[in-house]
Amino acid sequence: MSAASEVNLKQTLRKLEFPLCAKEALNKIGELICGRITSIKNMDLALDLMSEFIFCEVDRRGNKRSSPLSALLELQLLEILFEHFNGLTNEAARNTVFLSLFSGTTALQRAGILSKLVSLAIGIPSPAILTSASTWMQQLGCTSAHSCKLAQAIVHDYFHLVPSAADRMKILPDVAPQFTANFLTAVAENYFNSKKKDQPYPSESLLQTITQWISQNAHLCIAAQQKQAALPPGAIAMEATTAIAGLIRWCTLAPMYEQDSQLYSHLHLALLNSILEIPHTTPPKAICAQHLATSLRFILLYSNKTGKQSNLQLALDRFAQAVQVALSTKCVYGKIDDLIHQLQQLPFNKLMSIVINTHKECK
Amino acid sequence: MDVDLTDEDYVIQRAKAALKSNPLSAKAWMITAKTLYPNNFGVQFEAYCIEKNAGHVKEAAKCFSDLIGKFQQQPELWKEIENVTLALRAESDTNDPEKQFLCEMFKHISPDVQHKLLLCTADHCEDTMEHCRLLLLLLQRFPTAISSYGSRLVDTLISAEKHSHDGNFPLNAYRKLLVCELLPLLATENAKVDLSSKLLQKLLYKAVEFYSCSLGLTPGVSPDPESKVEDPWQKLFAVIEFIGKQLEWEHYLVNFGSNWTKESYWQKIVTYCQARINNLDDKQLLFCSSIFFLHCLHEYSVSLTPESSPGQQQNTFVLVEAFVDSSLPNPATEPKSKKRKSDDYLYPYISVEKPELKNIHSNFLMVVNCWDLFQSSEHFQREFFMLNSFLKLESCFTNFLIDYAIYKGKYDDALVYLQKISDSNMLLNKYINIAGILYFKKNYKSCFEHILLAIPLLPSGIVGSLSSALSVGGNQRHLHYLPLTYTAILQYFVKLLLRCTKENMAKHNYSELAIGHILTLVQLDWPQEEEFVPPLMNQIQQHGSFNYILFQNYIINVDILEEITYLWTNQGGQITLDIIPHMGQRRIGTRGADKGAKEEIKQIIRRQVARSNENISELLIRFITHERELIFQSLM
Repeated sequence: MSAASEVNLKQTLRKLEFPLCAKEALNKIGELICGRITSIKNMDLALDLMSEFIFCEVDRRGNKRSSPLSALLELQLLEILFEHFNGLTNEAARNTVFLSLFSGTTALQRAGILSKLVSLAIGIPSPAILTSASTWMQQLGCTSAHSCKLAQAIVHDYFHLVPSAADRMKILPDVAPQFTANFLTAVAENYFNSKKKDQPYPSESLLQTITQWISQNAHLCIAAQQKQAALPPGAIAMEATTAIAGLIRWCTLAPMYEQDSQLYSHLHLALLNSILEIPHTTPPKAICAQHLATSLRFILLYSNKTGKQSNLQLALDRFAQAVQVALSTKCVYGKIDDLIHQLQQLPFNKLMSIVINTHKECK
Repeated sequence: MDVDLTDEDYVIQRAKAALKSNPLSAKAWMITAKTLYPNNFGVQFEAYCIEKNAGHVKEAAKCFSDLIGKFQQQPELWKEIENVTLALRAESDTNDPEKQFLCEMFKHISPDVQHKLLLCTADHCEDTMEHCRLLLLLLQRFPTAISSYGSRLVDTLISAEKHSHDGNFPLNAYRKLLVCELLPLLATENAKVDLSSKLLQKLLYKAVEFYSCSLGLTPGVSPDPESKVEDPWQKLFAVIEFIGKQLEWEHYLVNFGSNWTKESYWQKIVTYCQARINNLDDKQLLFCSSIFFLHCLHEYSVSLTPESSPGQQQNTFVLVEAFVDSSLPNPATEPKSKKRKSDDYLYPYISVEKPELKNIHSNFLMVVNCWDLFQSSEHFQREFFMLNSFLKLESCFTNFLIDYAIYKGKYDDALVYLQKISDSNMLLNKYINIAGILYFKKNYKSCFEHILLAIPLLPSGIVGSLSSALSVGGNQRHLHYLPLTYTAILQYFVKLLLRCTKENMAKHNYSELAIGHILTLVQLDWPQEEEFVPPLMNQIQQHGSFNYILFQNYIINVDILEEITYLWTNQGGQITLDIIPHMGQRRIGTRGADKGAKEEIKQIIRRQVARSNENISELLIRFITHERELIFQSLM
């Protein structure tokens, strides 16, 4: 596209009112970046169109606008975005536009719109948009701050703001299994983690939904690893991180934080069953040893504070069980020896010592 | 906690301990144990037992599958495998919760493992019967395995039968498995199994032999309730369908579909024969028509003793030569037989007691059709007899052959068959038929002899009633299906005896003894036999006197007494009535002058009238048994 026609395009769009210009811009962006040959120039133009005509972050001269979109305009934009993405059947094209819209330097800025769009896609529901959201999480990292923020927003919308809406979540694994898997990974990072001080434990209804999901579908946790996401040409596919290690941390730490809901036993069992169902791959990719080891820090901290012995032992039993089952199914990657070494630093637990010895014998 | 506990025991113990308080945690322990000691049978089996005892079908199935994959040599596991196969075999009729659980568990095992389990149990099994049962179970569960194991199992069963102690007894357990379980499996639509035509024919023989035995067609083989098969004909037909299809027999001869009827099938046989009028020596016609014949024969025998409605006694019927009254018109015949009215005289009229028994008649005619077909070709006849002597079925034909001979009027043939009967249950039938035939052969004395032989055998417990169909109008022969009841048989005998006496009278000028006997005999079926009386009264009147020493013993019918008394009066001709015992010695002078004697006769008549309500059957039994000498006299 020549410089002249670039100007022309912007001129044409400027003649349109918002949100009509946003709609038209989305189509143009698709044309610009989903073609067989894309150039940096096209990408730059697309980014320009996004910030001017879709998110209204800059004015026609490229100056930052002082006030972003009003609530009403934002709603209109959401409608446009939803219609546009929901109607795109070409998955690669959809993911390409979605990724360029919500990642990069402007990601944080647009996170609010994104979470609202995904919330909408869960509620209606729209498998297409959820698939793109899933790809987005995966490319940015399921445990990344962006993904965690999105997960938190969804939990807020569906479990806290409107608790009755949790029912909509029940069918989520059927609607969008890959998205659910990545959502689980992100949400797992949000609790039983020192990062979050204000709300350290998941709510009962969230815990219940997650437990139910995983109990009913042992393959859910690895769903995102089972299907290759359709990406823009030239993009490097990122492997999805599973929720297993994060959720094991929940179950392990729960007794120490006096979280004695029976649901943790249930979730723990569902996780063990899920691990057993992981298909063998070379190299293994389902559970990262370091990710698994995040619990260790908390356990040591707890034992140093001379917490309740029975709770500590329960935590260690669960952790040892999870480690054992994971190691036996050969789905752990990363520095396993480091993990074993760290396990030896833990307070004594008979099962843990059996697990460690068994692992050493097997080597 | 016990410090001496081995690691394995520790983990298992934790799982068991948690079972009550927290089953979820128990399961987690169990999973851990299983992954910790994947090659430890004790741990793995314990895990299975825990799941089983907790009633977790899916989990138990998973543990069990793992065990089968890894620990086939463990005796404890074998015991459990046997329990599973045992439960599977009793699946439909078990209330045992453990068996039900095991069956349910089996369903949750992957087909591969199921297949493996059954196959290696069968191979592992030293008892041939067990082995066959297990293979059968395998084929039932996995029809795809039929092509690879079906013919092998056929061979095994045939040779096992040969070597088993009751192998020559057609209802042995191997045969039952082969015929009732395996053949239907082989016949399923998708089963592809290769069997030689020789083997197929052998299987057909075996099936026919089995079912005919279980139907009780083969004498000396009493089917025990164990070997009773539901709907044996449908099953035998299914076998023919299958084997016929394999042998590429005519489709219409081996098609026993839902709208199959005997009549339509007979038409097909006729069509087939007409198409090959000079070449009736092929196996398919022989087999199909023989089995069809057996089927019709069986239906005929069954219909001779129809199911009784509740509360009623079951009755058996026997075909007898019955009587015609040429003074009456032909009985109304079925519209069907109108077509061949011209040759009506060839066919006897066959009557039954009640319209609902007409099927006896039609069943009989169908067997006759088949039999006539077998007689039509010498070769066919020979083959048919070879087949049946192989199957030891000839003796079950006897009853039909007697009926057939009677039907065709071949009395001598019938007598030959009848004389051979020695079965005590058949003696009554034998004497009834012989007596009937001898009457028609005008051998009256022998007829009576056989009646005398039969009287003690009358079924006193089955009273029955008088038949109204023993005599019909017209002039064609009349056969009747006589119910084997006390009254009906007696009635038949009395009618025979009556006619014997009547017909024998022609030999002599005037026999007061015969007239007295006839008057006694007509009383049973009064007034059906009334027409016998007027000619006798004429004879008495012409003769002027009537002397019957048994008068007081047996003549009690009011009508007859009235007739006789009339003859004795002035208006009736004042005959001499010699019915007072020892009258002869009193030397009465003038006819009717002896007032005392006259009074005595009046007394006697009155006494006889007073007895008119006596049991007439008993009276006639008494007559036949006590007065045999006098009866023989009248038959001289």
